[in-house]
Amino acid sequence: MTTPEQLNPPQKVTWCTGCGNFGILAALNKAVTELDIPVHNLVISSGIGCSGKIPHYIGSLNSFHTLHGRPIPVGTGISMANKNLEVIVHAGDGDTLGEGLGHFVHAARRNVNIAVFIHNNGVMGLTKGQFSPAAPRGYVSNTSPPPPGAPMAPANPVAQAITSGATFAARGFSGDQKSLVKLMVEAVKHRGFAVVDILQPCVTWNRQLTWKFYNENTYSLQDNGHDVTDRMAALEKALIPGDKIPIGLFYKVDAPDLAADIALPEDVPLKDHVTNLKDVQKIIDDLMI
Amino acid sequence: MDITFNIGGEAGQGIDTIGDLLTQVFVQAGFYTFTIKDFESRIRGGYNFTQVRVSDKPIHAPVDYIDVIVALSRDAVIGQRDKLVEEGVIIFDDSIEFDDLEACHYPAPLEKIAKEVGGNIRMMNAAALGAILSVIKFPFKLAEEALNTIFGRKGEKIVAGNVAVAKALYDLTMEKFTGTCRYNLDTLESGPCKDKLLLTGNKALALGAMAANVKWVSSYPMSPSTSLFMDIVANSRNLKIGTLQTEDEIASICMAIGASYGGARSMVTTSGGGFALMTEAVGLAAMAETPIVIYNAQRPGPSTGLPTRTEQADLFTMAFASQGEFPRILLAPKDPVEAFDAAVRAFNLADKFQIPVMILGDQYFADSTMNVPRIDVSGVKIDRGKLAKSGPDSDYKRYLLTPDGISPRAFPGDEGKSIVSSGNVHREDGHITENADMRNKMVAKFMNKLPAIMKSLNPPELYGDEGAEVTLLTWGSTWGAANEAMHILKDGGVSINHLHFSDIYPLRTEKLRKVLSKSKQIVSVEQNVTSQFAQLVKMATGISVHHHINKYDGRPMTARWIVDEIKEAGIK
Repeated sequence: MTTPEQLNPPQKVTWCTGCGNFGILAALNKAVTELDIPVHNLVISSGIGCSGKIPHYIGSLNSFHTLHGRPIPVGTGISMANKNLEVIVHAGDGDTLGEGLGHFVHAARRNVNIAVFIHNNGVMGLTKGQFSPAAPRGYVSNTSPPPPGAPMAPANPVAQAITSGATFAARGFSGDQKSLVKLMVEAVKHRGFAVVDILQPCVTWNRQLTWKFYNENTYSLQDNGHDVTDRMAALEKALIPGDKIPIGLFYKVDAPDLAADIALPEDVPLKDHVTNLKDVQKIIDDLMI
Repeated sequence: MDITFNIGGEAGQGIDTIGDLLTQVFVQAGFYTFTIKDFESRIRGGYNFTQVRVSDKPIHAPVDYIDVIVALSRDAVIGQRDKLVEEGVIIFDDSIEFDDLEACHYPAPLEKIAKEVGGNIRMMNAAALGAILSVIKFPFKLAEEALNTIFGRKGEKIVAGNVAVAKALYDLTMEKFTGTCRYNLDTLESGPCKDKLLLTGNKALALGAMAANVKWVSSYPMSPSTSLFMDIVANSRNLKIGTLQTEDEIASICMAIGASYGGARSMVTTSGGGFALMTEAVGLAAMAETPIVIYNAQRPGPSTGLPTRTEQADLFTMAFASQGEFPRILLAPKDPVEAFDAAVRAFNLADKFQIPVMILGDQYFADSTMNVPRIDVSGVKIDRGKLAKSGPDSDYKRYLLTPDGISPRAFPGDEGKSIVSSGNVHREDGHITENADMRNKMVAKFMNKLPAIMKSLNPPELYGDEGAEVTLLTWGSTWGAANEAMHILKDGGVSINHLHFSDIYPLRTEKLRKVLSKSKQIVSVEQNVTSQFAQLVKMATGISVHHHINKYDGRPMTARWIVDEIKEAGIK
C-alpha cells in the first residue's frame, strides 16, 4: 500500500505559481496511491521541458529524465526489459508532438504497454513561450511570424493516437482532478499504448489557453454518451471542431501488445534471463564445415 | 600455393553462392581462405564480384592479382581483366556472346550442363566449381569428399546431383580447355589448415554479443551493419533476446538505453549515417551512466557516400560524438577472431564502467569471410560490474560518489529502492541540480573512471623487431594487408616493423612511445584521407607520423598496394 508520505517531493518544485503542472502532479499522486502497484514497479520516463521535471517532484518511484522528444522510446526499452514494470511517460506537447511525434506514432502502432501523459499547454514554456505544435493557428508568440501568429494548424494528439493504432486514447484537464485521476489509473492499468492528452494552462506565457478558457470550454464526453469501442465515433469526437472541447475517454479496445510478439522469455523478465552458453556453442558448431 | 578466384556477375545471379561453395570446398580440403565481396548498391543487375583467395599458409587480406575469373555476365568477362595474372583464365558461360576471344578465355557450358546433368539450373554453382577446379588441375577426389560433406545435410540426391554436375564440367574442361594456369595442383594432398569455422566480422560480433548475454538489440537496417542485426534476430527466439526494428536510429538507441536502465544488456547496430542520428543519445547514456554497446560498420561518407563499400573515416565522429565531455571506449577488432572477443569485452567494459562502448568495423571487416578455429564459448565470462546489494534500501543512491567514480547499479523493480536517472546534471540520488559543487563532483566522477579504463584496454601489438627503422602504424581492419606488406618488405631487406591498435580510444601510449621513439620513419596506413588515427596519436603523444598512406576509394587495401605506395614514397 502506497502512502502519500512516500510520494513527498524529493526536491523543491520549480514550476511557476498557478502552473497547470501542479494539477497533473496532484492527480499523479492520487493515481499512484489508488493503483495499488508497489512503487518499485512504477517507472516514469520523462522528456525535457517543465513536464520533464515531474519525476523530481514525486518520491519513491523509479524514473528516467531523458531527452527532448525521446521519453517514449526510452520508456519502450524499459518496458521490454522488465514486463513487471508499469511505465508512465510524462511528455510535453513540444516534446512528444514535436521532436517525438514519429516515436509517438510508431509506439501507438506497436501498442507497447506504456501510458503516455501529455502535458499539453500549447507553448514551449521552459524556453520562454514559443508556439508549440499544439498551439492554435494564429497563436502569437516570440517565434511565430507576425502577423498572424503560428502559421499552421495544431497537432491533435487524441486523433493522432487513434489513427496510429493506440488502444487507449483520452483527454483530461489539469483542473478536473476527479476525471483526470480516473483516466490516469485506467491508462496505467490498460495493457497497451495508452494516451492521456492533458490540457493545462501555462500561466506565464499562454494568454489564450487559460484556466478560465478551459473551465468555460471543456465538457464531459462520457456525460453525453459515447461508445469507447467504436473507433470511427472516437475519431469523430476527437476531430470535433469549434471552441468546446470534450474531456474523457475516447477510445479503448484490447489488442495484442508489443511484448506478446517479440522474443521475450515467458517465465522471467528479460533482464533476469541468462543465455545458455551451450545454445551459443551449438550455433557456432552448426556453422562449422 | 596462393591462388585467387574472382566470381563476377550481376546482382541476383548467384555469384555469392558459387563463391561460398568454392570457399567451403577449399576449407574442407584443408586450406586457408579469405573472401571479399564487392557489390553495388542495387538489388538486381550491375556488376558485382566475390573474390576468394586460397593458400596453404595463413592469410588475412585479399590480393589484387587473380588466377581464375568466373564470369556470369559480359561485364564480368572484362571487369577484372587487368588484374589477371599472366597465365590467368577467364571462364564464362558459353551463353554470353563474346567475340574477342583470347587464349585465356574459356567459354564453358555451365548453365547447359547444370540443366542436362543435374536437372536444375541452381546446380550451376557445382558446374562452375567443376570448371574452376579443372583449370587448376585440383584432384577431383578432394572436391568430391568436400561436396559430400557440404551437401550431406541436404540428402543423397542433392549430393549426387552436385557431384555429377561438377564432375561433368571437370571432365569436359580437361578435354576442351587448352590453356594453362600457373598452378597445376594434380599432385595435391589435403592442406594443413584445420580451421573449419567460416566467419565474417559481423557474424563474429553477433556470436560474441550472444555469448556475452546481450538481451536487447534495437536497430534500423543500414549497410553494412545489417547482417549482424539479422543474425541476432534469427537466434532471438532460441536465446530469448528482445529485438526490434525501429522507426529510426534515434529510437534504436533510446530504446537500448531504456532497456539497459531496466537491467538488460543492450546493443545497437548501425553505420555512420545512423550513428549521426544517435549522437545526442550517446550523451544521454553517458550522463545517466547507462551502459550501451554501439556498433558502427563504417562506409565511405560523408552523407550516403558509398553505401556498400569500405572506409575507416568515422574514428573522430565516434571518439568525439555528442556534446560535452565524458569517458567512452572505442574498440576496432582487426579480424573475426578478435571480433568475437571484442564483442564480449565491449559488454563487460560497458557494464564495468557504466559508459558507452563503441565497436568500429567497416564494410571490409563486416563482409569479408575467413576460416578460423572453432570458437569455444566456455571461457566467456560475464562481468556486470558493481551491483548494489539486493534488498530494500531507502537510501540507495544511483550516483553514489565513490573513489573510482563507479556507483553500484540497481534496477527498477528492485524492491525498496528507487532508481532515479537523468540526462541533466544530478545529485547522488539522481535528482537534478544546478549546484556548482555537485557539478564539479559529477565531472570528477567521470574523470575518476579513466585510470581503470586505460588499464582495461589492450596495448598495441608489435610485429617484427622493436628497433626496426620503419614502422607501419595501423588500426582496425587494415591490419591484414599491412602485416602482409611488412613481411614482403622485410623479406626484401627493409628494416621494418608493424605496430597495430585494436583498442583505439582512449589511446594507451606507453608502448606506442617506446616503439615510435626508436623508429626513424613512422608510416600510418589508413583507409581514410586525413589519417585520423595518426592525428589521434599526435594529440595524445605529440608524436608526428612521417608518412601517410591513405586509401579512400572504398575498396579494401592489399599488401601489394601498400608496398607500392611505400616504394613510391621513397621509404627504404
